[in-house]
Amino acid sequence: MVKKKKQTHNDAETEMMEGITITATDQEPTFATIRLNLIEISKKPNVTGYILRNSTSAVIDLKDPETLQSFAILSAEATETAEELSRLFKLGKVENILIEGKNQKIVCLSVGENKINVFMEKDASHAAIAKQLLR
Amino acid sequence: MSNELCTFALKTTLSEIKKVCPDLSHSLIFDKDANILATDEDTSQENATQAAHALNALIGKAEVIGGIDSTTFETAEGRVSLICTPTLRIATVASSRSEERFVTALHRVLVPTVLELAEKISQESSEEISQESLPNNFTVTEETITTEETEQSNESAVQEQPAEETIPIEDELSAEPSYPEPMATQFMIENVGGLLVSTDTVQIDNAAILQWNETYEDKKITEVEIETLSGQTTRCKFKPIKDTKHNGKGVIRIPKKVQLALQACEGELVTVKPVLEL
Repeated sequence: MVKKKKQTHNDAETEMMEGITITATDQEPTFATIRLNLIEISKKPNVTGYILRNSTSAVIDLKDPETLQSFAILSAEATETAEELSRLFKLGKVENILIEGKNQKIVCLSVGENKINVFMEKDASHAAIAKQLLR
Repeated sequence: MSNELCTFALKTTLSEIKKVCPDLSHSLIFDKDANILATDEDTSQENATQAAHALNALIGKAEVIGGIDSTTFETAEGRVSLICTPTLRIATVASSRSEERFVTALHRVLVPTVLELAEKISQESSEEISQESLPNNFTVTEETITTEETEQSNESAVQEQPAEETIPIEDELSAEPSYPEPMATQFMIENVGGLLVSTDTVQIDNAAILQWNETYEDKKITEVEIETLSGQTTRCKFKPIKDTKHNGKGVIRIPKKVQLALQACEGELVTVKPVLEL
């Protein structure tokens, strides 16, 4: 049987489930934390850049700045399309998007109010990158 | 290629895939102009069209990544996947429980294969039709030439045969245009009934009727011949399906009386040929 025990301390909530402790702060990772993660991720050779934005700030880092506009348009269109599809088929909140192109791929994630788009080569492990961002 | 055959083949493929993957809730196939080629029975035409337009808008902006190969949208209550092939775009909506790789692989393999097969069948049947209609003309022409040659050799005439002699025969042929054998279209039976529904008239997809009218423009078509897979046939009057949601779905709405005559019931497949009046 799953035992659940909740206790609150220092704005953090700890859940005990079968001996495993999962600690989740009641705040989503901050813009700064995500940015630090993205800086680490962008050092990988097959990652070509990222866009991080929320309602007040935005950070863009692309190895080829000339493609900035095209990537920004594509990311925005992907978000719009996802929302439209979710509305049409009643699928609820959009969590993430993976666009696999012939040469590159894009992972779009929402962490709280922060929107993250990571651009990478086709052979990059998008799952590992997403995991790194969501941890 | 016959659009109906294509639609029927794709639609059947989608419903068969759905049987294998019960977590699949919607699927649609469209082209680069957002024309809906097929949807499963749970997807409305309106939703399919809107989804196709939204996805095509995304594809149109993906030049920077060399065009889209596939896309996955993960949401709280499911997943939308888009697969792009050189000619088709396939979108599926499934619950998060579904195995995405399995669903994608099935669509990637089955849909193009079925389409290719349908094209091949369509080509072969049109070749058969043209072979059936051509020999009469060819025989006559050959006979004409043979007769001309024989006459020429018999008479040992230096004079060439006047060209007019062959023209009347050709004129005669062109005066009576040869129509291809009435094309059989496959439909799935749906029940139709009610006080205002005629019991001896079937309702057929308007697209099929329009195609018959185009193919046999000089002929009057008031009846169709329906044949079941077991070989039972009947002739009856027909009219187009008024309800737009049934159009393009490859269905024929048959009253119970006609179904009894055919010894067939809802869900069974039948072939329908127009009866050409002379």
